[in-house]
Amino acid sequence: MKNQLSALIDGELDPQEAEHLFTALKVDAEMKEAWRQYHLIGDVLRGSVDTNQEMAAKIMLALDDEPTVLGVNKQLQSTAPNPNKKTFQTPLFWSIAASVAAVMFVGLMVFELELSGSEEMRPIELANSLPMEYLQAHQSMAPSSAAYYIQSANFTESE
Amino acid sequence: MRSVVVGLVLMMAGFVLVSPVSAEVSAKPQNNGLLDAWQILEKSAYAARELNYEGQFSYVNGENSRIVDIKHMNYGGHEVARNIVLNDSNREVFSQGNDIVIVQPTNKNVMIKKRRGKNLFPAMLPTNLNLIKQNYKAFIAGKETVADREATIVELVPNDAYRYRYMVWTDAKFGLILKMTLVDGNNKTLEQIYFNQLSMLNSQDLNWFQPKIEIGKEYVTEQPKALKHVDDDLIMTNLPVGYQQIDHIQRVKSGGSKVDQLVFSDGIGSVSVFIEPMTKGKRPKKGVMPMGSTNMCALVTNGHQIVVVGEAPARAVKSIAEAVSFKK
Repeated sequence: MKNQLSALIDGELDPQEAEHLFTALKVDAEMKEAWRQYHLIGDVLRGSVDTNQEMAAKIMLALDDEPTVLGVNKQLQSTAPNPNKKTFQTPLFWSIAASVAAVMFVGLMVFELELSGSEEMRPIELANSLPMEYLQAHQSMAPSSAAYYIQSANFTESE
Repeated sequence: MRSVVVGLVLMMAGFVLVSPVSAEVSAKPQNNGLLDAWQILEKSAYAARELNYEGQFSYVNGENSRIVDIKHMNYGGHEVARNIVLNDSNREVFSQGNDIVIVQPTNKNVMIKKRRGKNLFPAMLPTNLNLIKQNYKAFIAGKETVADREATIVELVPNDAYRYRYMVWTDAKFGLILKMTLVDGNNKTLEQIYFNQLSMLNSQDLNWFQPKIEIGKEYVTEQPKALKHVDDDLIMTNLPVGYQQIDHIQRVKSGGSKVDQLVFSDGIGSVSVFIEPMTKGKRPKKGVMPMGSTNMCALVTNGHQIVVVGEAPARAVKSIAEAVSFKK
């Protein structure tokens, strides 16, 4: 499923086929983390880290304004030494903020993909997103290729 | 029970074994002394298909390498061979004539995949060398020892910069290719494949020609998706000299979209061209990417994504990608 997630981020997978991924993202903490990491890797490669950092900061501010989103239980609130202290310093805040951020990024990405269908889309550099399926399809049809013996980690020979 | 399962597996794989006509071993030593470079290569092409041998070879491409166990027999005029890729999953590749069956164990099951026959090591050269002769010159470049066997070195020098140079070490007695390297225009070795050990077989026993059975795992046969197709809208202009189209198939992706694959060869190097219409929401791929001896190039032409992959220099792969055009 993580491969599919990566493919979705790289534009290799049709979002309409990825409904199950979005569902998984909402419920599976490991998938959320994978989603975040894949995006981070992609952003670094595209040199657009700052953009998403700004987005994350905006989300943090929005959450700060809406403390009820955090769902902190009454016992926690009553034992807090200072009720006015910003809750984003606790690990609980970060985990919830991260999950909200993940959901927002999903929404944002679907929106972007739909928009871009009618515009000139930014191309993906091969070096940043190596489409292994072409390599394996070539090796399966080439009349002689010693490279046939090489199987990369995500080389499954499925056609 | 075991034999029943083995029989089932082989039947699924489509093998039809024939009775041995003769138990004679076809390996007969000959002297390379009077042969010219092309004759040595032709002998090596036949030797790989007619002789009985087993051994282990290494394949190195860029940062990737594999060790493969091979056993090959010419069984009553029919070639049978088994390759076991020792790294990773112990993938077994069985070939009989023009059929290749891959037995690929995974954590859950064992996948059985059929593939079209190809020139696997040491049968890397076709028996008909005419296309290679049009694009390369062959020279005898000396003698060396490979896997404790005396070898004659033949050099295949390309006529232009659209293909690599090949060095071929052939067994001085039997003609088998013992080693082969692929060298770029800067004399850098990009790919090499060589026997670590090799022995001729004096047996016609075929008990080895069956996959390892993993009790408790389900055997699943892959359903082929490719189908033959010819696209009249497609034309290739200004292809690099010497590359000929040898195949054209259409693949269907999981989402239902279709991809045309054309395969070109100059006799020894081959290049695939993938063509698919750009669809809404699909980001175009572009650029070039070297991976050892394999080069990849992607561009968009007339609303189609073109991806070219092959064991050819970057300039050849790029030229072939740019040669794709469509009838208006």
